[in-house]
Amino acid sequence: MDNLHVDTLVVGGGIAGMQAALDLADQGFQVALVEREPSIGGKMITLSKVFPTLDCCSCITTPKMSAVAHHPNIHLLTYCELQSIEETGSGFHAAIVQKPRYVDARKCTGCRECEYACPVTVPSPFDRGLGAYRAIRVPFSTAVPQKAVLDMENCILCGKCEKECPAGAVDFTQQPEPFEIETTTIIAASGFELTPLNAKKEYGGGKLRNVVDPLMMERFLAPTGPYGRVLRPGDGKEPTSIAYVQCAGSRDQTLGVEYCSRVCCMYAVKQAMLISGALPMADITIYYMDIRTFGKGYEQFYQNAKAMGVEFVRGKVAAIREDGEQNPVIKVELTEEGRIVERTFDLVILSLGMTPAPGSNGTTSTSLSASLGLPLGTDKFIAIPAPNANPCASARPGIFVTGTAMGPMDIVDSIVTASSAASAASAYIREHQKEAVYA
Amino acid sequence: MSDIKTEAPSRGEMLKRLRETHAVSVERTQVLFRAQKQMQQAICQFIRETPKTVPEIAAEIGKPSHEVLWFVASLKKYGIVVEAGMCGDYPLYQRAKEAQA
Ligand SMILES: Cc1cc2nc3c(=O)[nH]c(=O)nc-3n(C[C@H](O)[C@H](O)[C@H](O)COP(=O)(O)OP(=O)(O)OC[C@H]3O[C@@H](n4cnc5c(N)ncnc54)[C@H](O)[C@@H]3O)c2cc1C
Ligand code: SF4
Ligand code: SF4
Repeated sequence: MDNLHVDTLVVGGGIAGMQAALDLADQGFQVALVEREPSIGGKMITLSKVFPTLDCCSCITTPKMSAVAHHPNIHLLTYCELQSIEETGSGFHAAIVQKPRYVDARKCTGCRECEYACPVTVPSPFDRGLGAYRAIRVPFSTAVPQKAVLDMENCILCGKCEKECPAGAVDFTQQPEPFEIETTTIIAASGFELTPLNAKKEYGGGKLRNVVDPLMMERFLAPTGPYGRVLRPGDGKEPTSIAYVQCAGSRDQTLGVEYCSRVCCMYAVKQAMLISGALPMADITIYYMDIRTFGKGYEQFYQNAKAMGVEFVRGKVAAIREDGEQNPVIKVELTEEGRIVERTFDLVILSLGMTPAPGSNGTTSTSLSASLGLPLGTDKFIAIPAPNANPCASARPGIFVTGTAMGPMDIVDSIVTASSAASAASAYIREHQKEAVYA
Repeated sequence: MSDIKTEAPSRGEMLKRLRETHAVSVERTQVLFRAQKQMQQAICQFIRETPKTVPEIAAEIGKPSHEVLWFVASLKKYGIVVEAGMCGDYPLYQRAKEAQA
């Protein structure tokens, strides 16, 4: 792996990081995009359709992923971990490690012969563990790059993949490869994670098979999902009654997540509409405290869902248990009627909130904010000291923040902040270049 | 600076090293792999002739239905099992070879 000298290092290849990289590269700047997973795309590539337009998510994201991979000014570095960052007089020095794929990326054609030959099946995080792939695999059908990666922790070293690979690409001799990047600016785009499904004991503590998280539901609704249709994971039944529990991981002091995660109301409304299309006979109920439709066209979207027959019930869900047939039973206080009732459903989705990407809560050594020396806000996302004057500037000159690395937001706002961070970085680089000329 | 060049280890040596450094995970995965194979065979055997639902397969082979669904989904992904209609609210699954025959 060669050392690089670039104008901007973007950390994180979700929609925010990809957009920031493309904006800068289109202006002629040299960009390195470092992604820790084997493919770029982030959470957005796992979604089915997007609110408020209901466009196919893959149709929007895949061309962007491809544009990043083919841009002459972008060095795409997947399956890489940022180790440390040091300030130099002229910018930053980043130490990175390329993790071994055990596949020669230059030779691999993405044909998946190795994957079909491999005898070990493992849960696929792309499908939130409900789908499977093999110990060696191309991570998902639209992955960029379309290259296989071998997961040594789940490999029995049988050598079948190496034997089957027509390109001779499987390479057991690969080792972690450290390399360095000199850069003038950094854009942090490390994204978000969902609050854990097992966080609330009252909601089954993650043990109820038919109580799922909303990214699982996105996968059920996607044509490439684990079952190819909407089924409940407990026993493969097509659900006929489905409930959403809003604010199941946000606005909750007991979880330390006191803020509103902003997108949960909208994704629940979106999924309810998509389920109505996929399962026209299904009853869908959304239990909410208040519905927050903050964006352009979002209120109309909510009204459309109501008109389609989605039932919105104001109520606080106190507990969820399971009956003898794996059906989740919800105990809910109907706040407008002042009654507590129990209702049984086939499937329940907890509308979980957003927290910073793992490691970025300042508690671990792999924390991006810690490696970048960036302070966190009270919400544990990267702090923006002057949000009104400089909405993407971190506390350190030359380091900018975009997307859900700075707080919960939707795709529209992730893209807006990406272009804003790119524009701020571009001004900073030009200023720096001027100083260098006159120095 | 020393002039001595260290030779890159051969493929055989690297594999030996990998077997040593990953002895624990290889052994754990071998146990898992054997269990997976048994489960896959049991499922495929039962749905060879007649398509079945996940709860029917689970009852026949004595495994939890969520586990059976996970295996059925993975067998379907790799073309070994196909969907073959519905029985009430449950999709039916059959071995691909027999379903296509
Ligand atoms: C269930 C659900 C449905 C949604 N539906 C919609 C919708 O319909 N419409 C809409 O507008 N929004 C929707 N959203 C919100 C949308 O998903 C986010 O706004 C968007 O994905 C945020 O993108 P991002 O790039 O900020 O973060 P991510 O998508 O999280 O990307 C971050 C990337 O950075 C990488 N990374 C993290 N740390 C590091 C590190 N240290 N080094 C290198 N790489 C790192 C990660 O692997 C990842 O690839 C939904 C959210 C959820 C949970
Ligand atoms: S490693 Fe070989 S078999 Fe696997 S996808 Fe790449 S080229 Fe195909
Ligand atoms: S060597 Fe590992 S990855 Fe390759 S086929 Fe065997 S188990 Fe799968």
